Amino acid sequence: MAELSAAEAAARESWHRLAARRTAMLAGGLALLALSVVADAATGPAMLPPGPVAAAVLGLGDDPMIRTIVWSIRLPVALMAVLVGAALGLTGAVMQTILNNPLASSYTLGVSAGAGFGAALVIVLGTTLPVAESQAVPLAAFAFAGLACAGVWLLGGLRGATPEMLVLAGIALMFLFQALLALLQFMAAPEALQQVVFWLFGSLQRATWPKLAIVAGVLAVAAPLLMRNAWSLTALRFGDERAAALGIPVRAVRFRGFVFVSVATGVAVAFVGTIGFIGLVAPHVARMLIGEDQRLMLPGAAIAGAVLLSLASVASKTISPGSLFPVGIVTALIGVPFLTWLIITARRSG
Amino acid sequence: MIASPTRRRLLAGSLAALPLPAFAQSPRITDALGREVPLAAPARRPIMTFNYEEFTAIAGLDGWQRLVGMNRVVWEGWRPAIFNRYLPLIPNLATLPDVGNTDEGTFSAEKVISLRPDLLMVPAWLWRAAETAREQIIAAGIPILVFDYNAQTLERHIASTRAIGLAMGTLDRTDALIERYRRNFEDIRDRAARAAGPAKPRAYVELGQGGAEVIGNSYPPNNLWGRFFEHLGAQNAAAGRIEGGYGPIPAEAVLAADPQFIFIGASSWVNRPKAVRTGYDVAPETTRAGLAPYAQRLGWAGLSAIRDGELHAIEHGLARTLFDDTALLYMAKRFYPGAFEKDDPVASLADYHARFLPVSFSGTWMLPWRS
Repeated sequence: MAELSAAEAAARESWHRLAARRTAMLAGGLALLALSVVADAATGPAMLPPGPVAAAVLGLGDDPMIRTIVWSIRLPVALMAVLVGAALGLTGAVMQTILNNPLASSYTLGVSAGAGFGAALVIVLGTTLPVAESQAVPLAAFAFAGLACAGVWLLGGLRGATPEMLVLAGIALMFLFQALLALLQFMAAPEALQQVVFWLFGSLQRATWPKLAIVAGVLAVAAPLLMRNAWSLTALRFGDERAAALGIPVRAVRFRGFVFVSVATGVAVAFVGTIGFIGLVAPHVARMLIGEDQRLMLPGAAIAGAVLLSLASVASKTISPGSLFPVGIVTALIGVPFLTWLIITARRSG
Repeated sequence: MIASPTRRRLLAGSLAALPLPAFAQSPRITDALGREVPLAAPARRPIMTFNYEEFTAIAGLDGWQRLVGMNRVVWEGWRPAIFNRYLPLIPNLATLPDVGNTDEGTFSAEKVISLRPDLLMVPAWLWRAAETAREQIIAAGIPILVFDYNAQTLERHIASTRAIGLAMGTLDRTDALIERYRRNFEDIRDRAARAAGPAKPRAYVELGQGGAEVIGNSYPPNNLWGRFFEHLGAQNAAAGRIEGGYGPIPAEAVLAADPQFIFIGASSWVNRPKAVRTGYDVAPETTRAGLAPYAQRLGWAGLSAIRDGELHAIEHGLARTLFDDTALLYMAKRFYPGAFEKDDPVASLADYHARFLPVSFSGTWMLPWRS
C-alpha cells in the first residue's frame, strides 16, 4: 500500500514536472514571439535607427515621418504576421488531429489552393466585376477557401468521412484547384498574371489596421470555440473507435474542426495571400516540444506558427537590406531546416 | 465639468478661430487621371518614378537637384545606355535613393515616406499596381500626382506634362513642350487621315528583345505602339488577339494577316545578346544585322512587308515620351510616303534633343532593314 502510494506520488510529481515543463515551453515561445515582433518593427527598407523607432512605438517620438512608418506600416505588418502565423499554425494542428495525418494542412489539402484560385479569378476578371478589386480579392479568397473545405467534407463524406477518405478528397481538390489556377494563369493577360504571381507569393505588406481588426475579430470568436473542443480532439488521437467509446461524437467534432479550418484559413490568407508551410510545420514543432495534449498543443501550434511567420517577416526584410523578399518563399526556407533539426534532435534524445 | 450648451459654444468659437486647413486655400493640380492633387506648387522635395527624359525636358537639369528619390530600375536597369548618357550631367543621379518598382515587387511605401518628400509623382501603371502603398503614402500626408504617357493619347500626354510642369513650377518649358507636341501630333494625324485611301495599311509591331528566334510581345490597338497604328489609320495584325496590354500573337496569325509594314521594337538592352539594337551609341549596321534574321523567319519571305523592304527597327524607348511624335512621323512616312515626302523624323528627333534635352543626339533610332 505504502509502495503504491509512493509510486502514485512519484507519478504525480513527474506529471507536475511535465506540466511545468510544457508551460515553460509556452512561456518561452511567447517570449521569443515578443522579441521577434520587436525585431519586425525595428527593421524595414527605410533602415531607420532603432532608438527613434522604439520611441515612436511607445508614442514618445516627435518625428511624424518615423511615427507614420512605425504605426501605419511596420506595426500592422508585425502584428499581421503574428495573427496569420497563429491562425495557420492552429488550422494545421486541427487538420492533423482530425485527419490523424502528419501531412495534413490547409496547404497540402487544397484549402489554400482554393483561396488562391478565388483570388486569381477576381484578379483575372478584374474590372468586369461590380465590386472594387481590393475588396473582391479577399472576399473571393475567403469564399473559395470555404468552398474547398466544403468540397473536401462532402467528397470525403460520401464514404463515411473517415480520415483516409477526407485526406484523399483533399488531395484531389488540391490538384483540381491547382489545375484551375494554372488554367487562369495561362489565360491571363501579362499584367494580371504578374498580380496573381505576387498574390500567390504572399505578402504581409498588404496589412493595414482595418484588415488586422477583421483577422483578429474572426480569430477571437473562432479560437475559443475551438478550444472548447480541445478535450474531444485529444481523444480523437486515440483513434475513432476509442474516441467513440469514450463518448466523443467523432463525426460532429471532425465537422466542427473543418468549419474552424475553413474560416481561419480563409481569413488568414484573404489579406496576405498564400503562405505555405507554416500550417504544416508549426503543429509538428508544438507536438515535439509540448506533446499530444491538445489543450496545450493547440496554443503551442498557434505560438509556433506566429513565431515562424514573424521571424520570416524579419528575414524577408533583412535578406537583402533595403528591399523586400516575398515572405511566402522565406517561410519554407526557414521552416524546413528548423523542422529537420527538430526531427534529428528528437530522434537522438528519443 | 462645463454644462453642455456652454461647451458647445466654446467648441464652436474655438473652431471658428482656427485657420482653415492649408489645402483648402492652396492651388490644386489636376493630374492625368483627372484627380485633384493638393499642392502649394512648386514642389521642393519631389520623388519621380518614371519618364525621366520627360521630367528632364519639363523641369530641366535644375529640377533634378530638388528630387529626393527615384525608381531606379526602370531607367538604370531598363534603359542603361540612355541612363549612362545622363549620369555625368546630373550630379545627384548616381546616389538618388531608390523607392523600388512595382513590377519587381520592390516598391515600398516605407521607403517613400522615409525620404520626407512633399510630392510623389507616379505613372498610372504604378498607381494601379500599388493600391495599399498609395493609401499609406497619402495617409502620411504626401500628395501623389499621377501622369500617364503610356496611354499614348494627345490628351493624357498634355495633361501629364502640364501636371508635372505645374508641380515643378517650370511653366515656360512646359508650355513650349505642350505646344510643340500638340502641333506635331495633330499635323501628322490630320495629314495621315487626308492621305488615307479606302484600304488601310496593314501593320504589325513586335518587341525585338529576344531576337528573331523568339516571338516577342505585340500591342493591341488600345496600348503603346498599337495606339500609333490607330492614330494613323493602320490595320493592326494584333487586333483582337491580345488579352490585356501586351503579349505575343501566334506566328501563323502574322502570316495570315500578311502585314505590309513590320516594325521591330529595338533598344540598348543589356544581357540581351540577340536583341535588335538601337540607341545613342549604335551604328546602323548593328541595327540592320539584328533585323536580318527576322526576314529569314519561316514563311516571312512571302510577306508583303519583307518583299517590299518594309521591315523596320524602331527604338522602343521612343514610345510613351514627349518626343514619340517622331516615331509617329516615321510610321506615317512609311504608310503614306506621298503625304510625308519632305518630312524627316530623325531630324525632328535631333531637333528635340537640341531644344529640350541636355544630351546631344547621335546613333540609330529608327531604320529600315534595307539601306
